[in-house]
Amino acid sequence: MKWARMRLLVWKEFLQLRRDPMLLPLVFIQPVLMLLMFGYVVGSDVTNIPTAVIDQDRSSTSREFVRAFENTGYFEIVTVTSDESAVRPLMDGNSVQVAILVPTGLQAGLERGEQVPVQIIVDGVDSKTASVASGYASRVIGEFTRRRIERTGLMPEAAGIDARVRVLFNPSLRSVNAMIPSLVAYILMLSSMALMAQAVVRERERGTLEQMFVTPITRGEYLFGKLTPYIMLAIVQIAAVMAVGVLWFRVPFNGNVFVIGGGMLLFMGTTLGLGLIISMFSRNRQQAQQLTMFVLIPTIVLSGFIFPIESMPPAIVPVTYLIPLRYAVIVLRSNFMKGSGLEALWPEFVAMAVFGIAIFGFAVSRFQKRLSD
Amino acid sequence: MRAAVRRVGAIARKEFIHIRRDPRMLVTVLIMPVAQLLLFAYAISFDVTDVPTLLLDADKTQASREYLSAYETSEFFDVVAWVDSPADIDEALDRSQSRIAVWVSPGFSEALERGEDGDVSVLIDGSEPNSAQLGQTYAIALNQQLDREVTIEWVRARGLDPESMGGIETHIRTWYNPERRSADFLVPGLMVIIIMIVTIQQTAVTLVREKEQGTFEQVVVSPILRWELMVGKVLPWMGLAFVDVIAITLVAITLFRIPLRGDVFTLATASVFFVLSCLSIGLTISSRASSVEVANLTGIMIGFLPGFMLSGFAFPLNGIPPFLRYLSYAFPGRYMVTVARSVFLKGAGMSVLWPQVGALALYAVVGLALASVMYARRAR
Repeated sequence: MKWARMRLLVWKEFLQLRRDPMLLPLVFIQPVLMLLMFGYVVGSDVTNIPTAVIDQDRSSTSREFVRAFENTGYFEIVTVTSDESAVRPLMDGNSVQVAILVPTGLQAGLERGEQVPVQIIVDGVDSKTASVASGYASRVIGEFTRRRIERTGLMPEAAGIDARVRVLFNPSLRSVNAMIPSLVAYILMLSSMALMAQAVVRERERGTLEQMFVTPITRGEYLFGKLTPYIMLAIVQIAAVMAVGVLWFRVPFNGNVFVIGGGMLLFMGTTLGLGLIISMFSRNRQQAQQLTMFVLIPTIVLSGFIFPIESMPPAIVPVTYLIPLRYAVIVLRSNFMKGSGLEALWPEFVAMAVFGIAIFGFAVSRFQKRLSD
Repeated sequence: MRAAVRRVGAIARKEFIHIRRDPRMLVTVLIMPVAQLLLFAYAISFDVTDVPTLLLDADKTQASREYLSAYETSEFFDVVAWVDSPADIDEALDRSQSRIAVWVSPGFSEALERGEDGDVSVLIDGSEPNSAQLGQTYAIALNQQLDREVTIEWVRARGLDPESMGGIETHIRTWYNPERRSADFLVPGLMVIIIMIVTIQQTAVTLVREKEQGTFEQVVVSPILRWELMVGKVLPWMGLAFVDVIAITLVAITLFRIPLRGDVFTLATASVFFVLSCLSIGLTISSRASSVEVANLTGIMIGFLPGFMLSGFAFPLNGIPPFLRYLSYAFPGRYMVTVARSVFLKGAGMSVLWPQVGALALYAVVGLALASVMYARRAR
């Protein structure tokens, strides 16, 4: 291993990256686009659900009832009619996702002290909105009833329950606070796996790999020269994503940079190893691309990065333990939000170390062999 | 014209031979989509149930036990343990062994006896915002209901008439998907996403690859016209995309038992325009990309990020900032997700879906025109 040769190889790799007029800009546009998408779309909370109100009571109480829904900000009332048959076409045409049916006699019934049924219809086609909307609706109605009873002053001294619901670690419940930290691991994976695999395969495709090995460059030096630029690129991207997350999206950072750095270093063993394995099994860049997708899609789905593992069917959950990104996401989120250190996160660190050493070790040993064939 | 058809046919055949020569490509194009469908449909779900919950009863009375048992019967909360000290709660939440803890303070039942409010704390781990938000909503709703029950009982015990407190009874009904099966909601959307990702990716490299391999000049010196080259290159991918559409629809109906309630003709028409729209995106990338890597990377980027995330497939678009909402109209997935879901689940037809189908048709025409201009320029 000669330092001068390795430096030259790294330099050559950077030159190649720069030579392509679109590749390097793309490498920097990608994290920006991801931040936008994950910060604003995946991290967005369900609000402004288009809602129809069928007010058959048309009284001051029913109007107050509807206003209670509007004031939450979760429901955006787009139509108010008194015709029940209007609901079907509105739902069919996707113009509303929730309908509130206030029956005649709401005010009269409440004044007589009766239980008045109110129907909430939710569009089950979009299940996330459906479950959030029905939860909010029950809450709004509960609060409305409670306020009404308090105001009538019928029983000010009655027994009741005073429940204080408190959210720990992420009190504002912003999804962005969970999304941006995990994005760090995902971007690391894309850069060090997908991009690096393409670079190695290109060399094989063009035959420059053989030229390389008739020179005195050793396999170790070659690997070092190939991996270093992508590691450096990934580190720059990670730093940028964390900076934008904290400064622009105001993600609170309660963690420790060293815990995150250490965790990502272990995770890099896995991603670089996977990149090398992909490059070994591909004859051209298109195949490398397909293999990358083959690895990437299950990783995204099963890591808990976008889709919560808790909601997965029990039969699938054990499979998620085989996805290295899972551990990286847990480390990043817990460290960012809860400030958990090694004493709480050691199982994840052990898992990442095992995966990293196994995958990287396998990749390097096979790569050496493959190159000497 | 006959000659043109023959030349287009020749290019299409050549492209097919390329695909056939590479068996892995066939696997990617034909088997991967179905495999992805299975993976996504089984693994993804947004239904949050059985959230691990801890209970701490510091009061240890009949009333507090009754209160806490409401959590045990709820489907949302899954009581994993009863603990004795607050330190246990801290530890379990830190280690993510439970997400919610309910804590009844001492003196709960005495307060109720005196006609006061009994104190209860509900602690929620917010680090998984999706379930935390639902947890918060459910906890508040459950406590409101329990609060009412306690009050009514108290009133009754004192010989008053609880009927004098009017209230609202909530009936929630879910239309189209009454059991809220997530497969019903996911599979029609997945069909769109998978086809989009496969089509954009595969067509993005068509032209760049020929340029890089130098075979492009050979094609250029032949009598073939630019548009013929483009049509010939696109035809095989279009065919494969339709095979995918049909395969996924069949899997959806037979394996996942997704009801196909609506008009198949509307779905087919919209699919044609949708596939053409995706092809036009792929061709545009191909005409601009400087190398195969760039084409690949852009293909992933566009297919995945705006295409997938702004389609409304998994992430509702009601809450996103306006500029992104406008941007979402620039990607065909958004229209097609609406069409697929409405046709499958709502039984909708052209009379309701014409705006979306029209938008896709317009997208396909404009997109292909734009792509062919850029393609021809690049081919020169």
